[in-house]
Amino acid sequence: MPSDTAIKEPGAGRRGRNGSSLFDADFLKKLETLNLIARQLVRGRRAAMRPSIKKGASIEFKDFREYSPGDDPRTVDWMAYARLGELFIKLFRQEEELDLWVLLDRSTSMNFGEPNKFDHARRIAAALAYIGMSNMDSASVLPFDEGLAQGMPRLRGKGPVLRVMDYLEGLTTAPATDFEKTAQMFMSRVRRPGIVVVISDFYGLQRARAGLDRLRFMKHQMHVVQVVSPWERDPPLRGELKLVDAETGQQQNLTITDGLLKKYKAAYEGLSTDLRAYSMKYSIGFDQAHTDVAFDEFVRRVLQHGRLLA
Amino acid sequence: MTLLAPWALWFLVVAGGVVALYLLKIKRRSATVPALDFWLSLAGQTKVHTLWNRLKRLLSMLLWLVIVTCLILALGNPILSLGKIKPRAIAVVIDNSASMQAIEKDDGASEGETRLALARKAVEEISRGRPVADEWLLIEAGREPRVLQAWTFDAKAVRTAAGKVTPFGGKGDVAAGVELAGQLTAGKNDPCIVVISDGAAGSVQQLATSNPGLIYWPIGTSTDNIGIGQLAVRPHRQNGNYQALITLVNASDVKVDTSVTLEVDGRSQSVELASIEPGATWEKVVAIEAPTGGVLRASIDRADALAADNEAYAILEPIRPAVVWLVTPRDSAFFFEQALGSMNELVWAEESLTLPPAQFAAAWDAAHAASKPAEAQPGTNNTASIDTTIRKPDLVIFNGWTPDKLPAIGRFVVVNGCPAELGTLGGEIAEPSLHVVPRPHPLMQHVTLQGARVAKGEKATLKQPARVLANSADGDPLLFLVDQPSRQVLCLAFDVVASDLPFRNAFPLLLRNTVSFMHEEAPSWLRSGYAVGETVRPVRTLPANTTKLAAKALSAGKQVDLDLPVKDGTFTYDGTFTPGALRVQVGDEASFAAINIGDEHESRIAVAAAAEDPAQKLGLSRGLLGAMPWTLLACVAAFGVAFEWLSYHLRWTE
Repeated sequence: MPSDTAIKEPGAGRRGRNGSSLFDADFLKKLETLNLIARQLVRGRRAAMRPSIKKGASIEFKDFREYSPGDDPRTVDWMAYARLGELFIKLFRQEEELDLWVLLDRSTSMNFGEPNKFDHARRIAAALAYIGMSNMDSASVLPFDEGLAQGMPRLRGKGPVLRVMDYLEGLTTAPATDFEKTAQMFMSRVRRPGIVVVISDFYGLQRARAGLDRLRFMKHQMHVVQVVSPWERDPPLRGELKLVDAETGQQQNLTITDGLLKKYKAAYEGLSTDLRAYSMKYSIGFDQAHTDVAFDEFVRRVLQHGRLLA
Repeated sequence: MTLLAPWALWFLVVAGGVVALYLLKIKRRSATVPALDFWLSLAGQTKVHTLWNRLKRLLSMLLWLVIVTCLILALGNPILSLGKIKPRAIAVVIDNSASMQAIEKDDGASEGETRLALARKAVEEISRGRPVADEWLLIEAGREPRVLQAWTFDAKAVRTAAGKVTPFGGKGDVAAGVELAGQLTAGKNDPCIVVISDGAAGSVQQLATSNPGLIYWPIGTSTDNIGIGQLAVRPHRQNGNYQALITLVNASDVKVDTSVTLEVDGRSQSVELASIEPGATWEKVVAIEAPTGGVLRASIDRADALAADNEAYAILEPIRPAVVWLVTPRDSAFFFEQALGSMNELVWAEESLTLPPAQFAAAWDAAHAASKPAEAQPGTNNTASIDTTIRKPDLVIFNGWTPDKLPAIGRFVVVNGCPAELGTLGGEIAEPSLHVVPRPHPLMQHVTLQGARVAKGEKATLKQPARVLANSADGDPLLFLVDQPSRQVLCLAFDVVASDLPFRNAFPLLLRNTVSFMHEEAPSWLRSGYAVGETVRPVRTLPANTTKLAAKALSAGKQVDLDLPVKDGTFTYDGTFTPGALRVQVGDEASFAAINIGDEHESRIAVAAAAEDPAQKLGLSRGLLGAMPWTLLACVAAFGVAFEWLSYHLRWTE
């Protein structure tokens, strides 16, 4: 069963995996800077107000339709009635909010590396949620492991940002991950298309693809962020070792030779390449978040490319 | 097989450690990875307990055991013997004389190495090549034999001691070294003496012939050498110059045309061309014009195998006329003054004195209290600096008077008298005619006094040993020489002035011979020459209050100032490593000595062949395939390590 974490009070002990502060004052300052950049990029357009194919109440005219009983008499076009002698009502374009969903992988494999991948991922998630909320989008962070956790409710405005941070602060890792099941649960919970950002290390790419396919068919605007640590790119392993799986605790004796190391590097590079190719093929945004690169630089780059705010 | 370093077997414990590690399995370092399946998918094989893996571990362990065993055996320095060779007591005599400094260039295997370096290698080869645990002794055969390593079973100690053998620039004494080795091997089990030498001009070969227990290990092949066998100098006071006798030795197999350069204090004096047949010597007497003296250096400018004998030194003592004091009553001085005045080249008239007997003691004390330099030549610029104090006499002539006690040091002629400490005069000789003793003596050169009548001859009773030059008809000594280490006294037991005319005519010649002889033999504190490597000591006891002497040494073209500490009236100087010169200042007297190799045998560097193969006679092991076993074992171990490394890289999982 997916576990959830109780939301803590704002400001209560935000600590990272290595004991350092995960969301400190500096972090908040950087968030504010990122938010300003985001505001400039939307250029005065209210990012939260997106045109919808649905018709509804707004000041922008869209079409006419014949009057039928039950329609609001205030929408009757009396001028047309005077000319044509028939009742028509005016239809206006409905304005609808665009939701930002941040799906955060909290499997144990994320709790790895120095700087810690999970810490890095949480900072990115907090930054994206803040940008989404402060630009009047609703935003929500939903952690996942073997399934989708309850997560946070949809929030908007700058006010709840501390709640988001406290929530992320208290988040712990879980043993295993199943993104296909996660996607299924997400689809049953969220039916309206929105922007979905998946933050994960994407080990087990096959199951991740299946989950991404499901989300894609729901017309979501997809974006994947692969979290990469320097250790994974160039692991400092050599000789006779007992390897322990971070997720399952499984152990295996292995002799790491130069040849095996070379194979590993090629395979890991292949994992990223495959994910990128998949993303390009289906117009999914793809970015690699290196843990040795500051989170704000990463978010700034993503914003500048306009992927999340377009 | 014998291990020369059996202590290495203690390292077999390491082999046990290897087995233990494989049995216990080395605890692997644990490393957490984000996705183990990712790694395993790359490694492929993940089953641990397959038969092949178990076999692989066993083979790996066996391979490491082989590697460790090979290394330990190599460390033990094994030698293969066929059981015929028994341990012996081996005394190694290493020749480090001047000829062992010859550089071997002809042999490709010994490019540019001295024979002494090859001798050190020979010691190593011998000590490593014996397949049994022998007892070793190492003796250096320099000027005097010296034990460098006392009896030991540790062959390495012998090699270390051989590595410290320093070249000796003079003539070695291999025979003395062999004799010492013979004494030290007495009572040892199956002793033998190995002489590592270039043959020392064939002397080792003779020793080997006469001593069956001696094994001659010849070193070197080169014969190309020309050396200065001798450089001797004597002053020619009549001509005011020197005569240098130089001898060159051609040790090579071909006729050699070369030149020898003679220089005094760095100034060239002469270049003599020499053409020398193979094995022959060349001699020449060369006049050296250097009246103020100096250091004569003879050198051969030829790059041959032995450079040490290409130069030699000699000391040119300043040629200075003798300062003669005539102590005589005034009325009988004229005859002697005339006689001395006729020999300007021998007697320094300006510094010589005629004294009445009463003033002798005061003048003697005054002369010996002054520190006036005695090397200056009259008539040169140096005379301007000479002060007016009384100069020490080289010869004192007492006529008709003798002091109660003669000074302990000096040269004296006593006319018509005899010092009391040497003898007494008593009783007039009835027939005072001279009968010259037939044995020739420099004093009597060209002096014919046979039968000449002398006046007032008295019978002398000698208290000290004396060389009688002329007797009376009755056999009483009339002319005799007392020759002591620091004092020479010529006594004439008659009155010269009152003697017959023939004697008075001959007396100046006798006096000339006396001045020349005694001045030439002026006492020096050093011998005129020392051999390289010889310790320099004064020839007689130094003055009692002397604690330190200033000296200058000329060695290898460089002049070095020295302070020689004096103890118990003597000093020692051991810095005679190369040909050169030494000057020692004792009070106001400077004494000089030349240092040379001094033996033409050292120049004859041709190596005498050994009668039989010394390695075979010693029973040395030649190893396997021409290599020492430890090198083969080390190669096997290295190959094993390479194989294990390769298999390690092929072994991804266990």
